[in-house]
Amino acid sequence: MSSFIKKDILVFWRDRKEILMALLLPIILIVILNFAFSGLFKDDEEAIHIDIALLVADDEKVGKEQFEHAVKETELSPTEKEKVLDEAANLNPVGLIHDFLINPEIQDWITIKEISEQEATKQVNNGDLDAIIRIPEGFTYEVLSVVLLDERPNHIPVNILAKDPSTEVGALQDIVHNFVHSLNVQFALGSTGETVYAEPVLPQGGREVVEGIDTYSISQYFTIAISTLFALFLAQTVALKTVTEKRERVVNRILLTNSNPINFLLGKTVSTFILVCIQMVITFTAVQLLLSVFPGKTLEFWVGLVVIMIAFSLTVAGLSSLFTSIVLHLSDSNTASGLFTLIIMGLGVLGGSFFPLEGLPNVFQKIGEWTPNGLTQTTAIKWIQFSDMSDLFFPLTVLTAISIVCFAISMSIFPNRGRI
Amino acid sequence: MLETVKLSKSFKGKKVVDEINIYLDAGESVGLLGPNGAGKSTTISMISSLIRPTSGDIKLDGKSTIKDPSEIRKVLGVVPQEIALYEELTAYENLKFFGQTYQVKKDILEGRIQEVLEMVGLKERQKELIKTFSGGMKRRINIAAALLHQPKILILDEPTVGIDPQSRNHILETVRELNKTSGTTVLYTSHYMEEVEQLCKRVYIMDRGKIIASGSKEELLSILSTEDTIQVQLSNRSESLIDTIKSFSNVFQLDETNVGLRIISKKNSNLLSKLVLASEKEGIQIVNYQVEIPSLEDVFLHLTGKTLRD
Repeated sequence: MSSFIKKDILVFWRDRKEILMALLLPIILIVILNFAFSGLFKDDEEAIHIDIALLVADDEKVGKEQFEHAVKETELSPTEKEKVLDEAANLNPVGLIHDFLINPEIQDWITIKEISEQEATKQVNNGDLDAIIRIPEGFTYEVLSVVLLDERPNHIPVNILAKDPSTEVGALQDIVHNFVHSLNVQFALGSTGETVYAEPVLPQGGREVVEGIDTYSISQYFTIAISTLFALFLAQTVALKTVTEKRERVVNRILLTNSNPINFLLGKTVSTFILVCIQMVITFTAVQLLLSVFPGKTLEFWVGLVVIMIAFSLTVAGLSSLFTSIVLHLSDSNTASGLFTLIIMGLGVLGGSFFPLEGLPNVFQKIGEWTPNGLTQTTAIKWIQFSDMSDLFFPLTVLTAISIVCFAISMSIFPNRGRI
Repeated sequence: MLETVKLSKSFKGKKVVDEINIYLDAGESVGLLGPNGAGKSTTISMISSLIRPTSGDIKLDGKSTIKDPSEIRKVLGVVPQEIALYEELTAYENLKFFGQTYQVKKDILEGRIQEVLEMVGLKERQKELIKTFSGGMKRRINIAAALLHQPKILILDEPTVGIDPQSRNHILETVRELNKTSGTTVLYTSHYMEEVEQLCKRVYIMDRGKIIASGSKEELLSILSTEDTIQVQLSNRSESLIDTIKSFSNVFQLDETNVGLRIISKKNSNLLSKLVLASEKEGIQIVNYQVEIPSLEDVFLHLTGKTLRD
């Protein structure tokens, strides 16, 4: 069988046009698509930028004096009063919010302008500013009372004022909401917006970052989608070589050597498997080097990805074997070529190789997830997100099973003597 | 050694090979002659086990090969009409691949490859890709690939179609040598009569799926022993002279050719004197008069009414 494998690989390798198509084209396409669509899945901080004015109506000094007076009015012991006042001296609620808004991570999203309330309102109306964050009068006193004296809060909110409920404002509301919410654990304060919407809306157009789950980028999607699509085309290419073998009677010559047909099919299958593996390795390596598609990934991640791609290569090899048997049955090579192109393009569309499966209606998504490329894509994306070994077992079993079924069918329909 | 018994093949109800009986004795060189569409290639495909006959049998040393073709495949080397090689591989890589598929033992395969390359005169070009070869060179490698497993019987299906005279001579010489020195039995099909005349001791003539004549060259030529074929070139064409010649009692057939007339008449019928008289009467000169020595081509023409390349 090794002679068949070597022959098929050599025949493919010597066909420079096919080599360029199979090895270079996917890389070129991924790079082009990556640049063309790079805005789609960019990080939130790159996609959204918010200009705000921070207006502080609260007077910290007055607030602290009010608090000191309130403490003296309580029935606490002198020692306790002294301790509470010490803590109050170190607590600066307005400063905390200010510090939060100017920390480097948030600064990537938000630019804070220090202008008067009148000017800020004017700029919001003009559209020069996205929003105003207003810290109301009495904020320091309220926070200190709740935190240190366990008093029921009066719900003095941090106001967010905006003209329109834009994505940017939604994002800002989330930021502030999340921050204040985290302070609520200690401060038990609420925050409300005074914009036309009340519920926080997640930023749109960016990627959702959930703790413990990594996200996948457009580059990663295209790398997986395009490489799997071109691998499917490789099955067609190898199978269509049989057209020439059939036309030139090489297949007949092989049969006359008393070779078992299974060797012929296995040669096609194994050589396709090897070629797809080579194609995948070259594509992923080149794309990683050019675009750093999978930055900072662990060795475990790469091993998992290799395992997924090996399972997919097996499926493509099975398809190649099936295509080969079909070619031997068909008398017209154009029919064979047309049929295979149709099948592969169908798999490409359904399997999400042209656009993500999420863009398809639910029923097509379900079907697409069962196509070899769709299943591989879904599995690879899951692997990027969760890196959970248990997610691999089922899809890899399915991919291997598809490969075995394809090979079994190709054996069963391999033409009898005199039918080639 | 090898024989076909009432071998027939039909495609979609049309009989393309009709109950033919052919035999090959060990060491013999046999020709299978016939025009395009005569059924030669189908016959070869059946003998070599590529297609199943509709009826009849093929026997190797008295044993049928229809059900289990593995034995005949072992002893058979088939050179197909097409260049059944991988164009993207070198001559050496092709031979190595086919040698491996023939299961030639690893330790002798290399030697065999060099032997067959030497035989077809392409040893120096073995590292070159087949696609860079001329048609004649490709055909020589096509033959070499069929010789790797040292077959006892070599079947060649029109191996010299469309090649240069040098390669053609080389191929004919190779086949002759194989038959003479290695005792390889040869079944050679062609529509080039002269090749078959040169190579084969016995000839089968096939037309429309049937064997219409067979025997040694002499036996076949004896079919024409009662006839003379005369080529006549006249100064002018004359319809009335043609009619007069046709009316001669010993003339069986008259055809107009591009150089004059071709007359088939009874042997030694002294046609010349009658022809001189008739042409003088018409005022036409006889420019050339030639009694042809009959060839297998003439036999074929006699039997089928057409030439081999029709």
